[in-house]
Amino acid sequence: MGNAIAIAKKELNIYFATPIAYVMFMLFVVIGSYFFLRLLGAYELASLQYMRFNAPEMANRLNFQDSIFRNLFGNLGVILIFIVPFLTMRLIAEEKRQKTIELLYTTPITSGSIVWGKYLAALVILFCTLLLTITYPVLIQIVARDQNGVEWRSVLLGYAGLFLMGAAYMALGLFISACTESQVVAALITFVLLLMTWIIGWSAQEAEGWVRELVTYLATVSHLDSFSRGTLELKDVVYFLSIITLGLFATHRAVEAHRWS
Amino acid sequence: MIEVSHLVKSYRDLKAVQDISFTVQKGEIFGFLGPNGAGKTTTMRILTGVMPPTSGTARVAGFDVFEQPMEVKRRIGYLPETPPLYPDMTVRAYLRFVAEIKGLAGPARTRDVERVAAQTNCTAYIERVIGNLSKGQRQRVGIAQALLGDPEVLILDEPTSGLDPAQQREVRDLIKGLAGKHTIILSTHILPEVQATCQKVLIISSGRIVANDTLEGLQRAHAGAVTADGQPGPAPSLEEIFLKLTSA
Repeated sequence: MGNAIAIAKKELNIYFATPIAYVMFMLFVVIGSYFFLRLLGAYELASLQYMRFNAPEMANRLNFQDSIFRNLFGNLGVILIFIVPFLTMRLIAEEKRQKTIELLYTTPITSGSIVWGKYLAALVILFCTLLLTITYPVLIQIVARDQNGVEWRSVLLGYAGLFLMGAAYMALGLFISACTESQVVAALITFVLLLMTWIIGWSAQEAEGWVRELVTYLATVSHLDSFSRGTLELKDVVYFLSIITLGLFATHRAVEAHRWS
Repeated sequence: MIEVSHLVKSYRDLKAVQDISFTVQKGEIFGFLGPNGAGKTTTMRILTGVMPPTSGTARVAGFDVFEQPMEVKRRIGYLPETPPLYPDMTVRAYLRFVAEIKGLAGPARTRDVERVAAQTNCTAYIERVIGNLSKGQRQRVGIAQALLGDPEVLILDEPTSGLDPAQQREVRDLIKGLAGKHTIILSTHILPEVQATCQKVLIISSGRIVANDTLEGLQRAHAGAVTADGQPGPAPSLEEIFLKLTSA
């Protein structure tokens, strides 16, 4: 475990010594803020209209969770598909290309520590990225004061869902990075893979019966959405955790295989 | 200290190393020579536990590299052909990282980083980013990395490549100074360097051993014809012996 932390510290050192981390933070916040402002504008418009048409029962049903955060988390999830490949592409591919992986192979650390360390660093970056966007609910809380304020429990659950989804994406990205020496190839394949897990949900609309259920289960979008609605269900947690386990296991195998080649 | 017996490594059809056996005594500097592609790097990679051999065994400090790789890795410092450096890190951050994964912690780690930096003359640029260093400076950081943790065995793959003559001499002196305490396998193409530093020489060609002897032994074996007055012929240079053995 100590070795894994040493690797993670080294990875974070490199993330923050190069522009990668900062550029990703900025992209995520810029695009996230754009979505947030759009949703906020729509909310404002809806509440104005309800007031003008004197529909208090509609106005009462209006809440931040359903009209802003649920959509916002969905949008942030899409942005993750675009930024995760760029965060994970270098993790192992770069070590192979620079031959620094030989250093890791000749020091007394296991492949498991290498994989864990790299993954931990990726999770820290993911956590920081998401943390930056917590300004949105905080802003709403400040402006809205206490009347129909932010449901923090639901918001935090939404963040937990986003984190789990990002963690699952990172595990897949890490695996792809372990399979190639080229960072560009790693990023491209990861991107296509992540996009597939998202858009596969669209075909659920045409399917029927068990196919429909299977496709819905496979799509990340449905699992993220149940978190951002503010519900915690075991099946969603299991879904993300199984992708993480699969990704890390496959990465470990890939690193071992590379050692033997 | 190092025992290699009947080592074979093949990559699919290509036989990189074919039945190599040798031993290195404790405290020796062992010169490892051969043309490019002869199997030097492959042998070193097996010894350091980067990859397993196809067949045969290798033992370092009494531990089998295949059965107890962790014990072997704790006792080896390795400088690969390309120094394994992270261009985005500073020299200090890099050395601290390597020390940490070699199991050093706390004040011992800080002390050891200072020690190897001083030993390899890296102290002047220890706060600089590795990507901005010259080739010679990088090479020295690579050697510093191998010395961390004071390993019993040092395996250096072309440690003086890319260095200017003054730096080459510096590194040569450093390696000589390490002999006795450390057992060193030194691979190089610079033959005078071998003459200056190594006690024993192993020459391989196309994956096979063509010579394994002391320098004097080699020179005696390949001495020119006996002259008319009964004196032994002129001792050939290592270069002549090397070319003769590897061209066959």
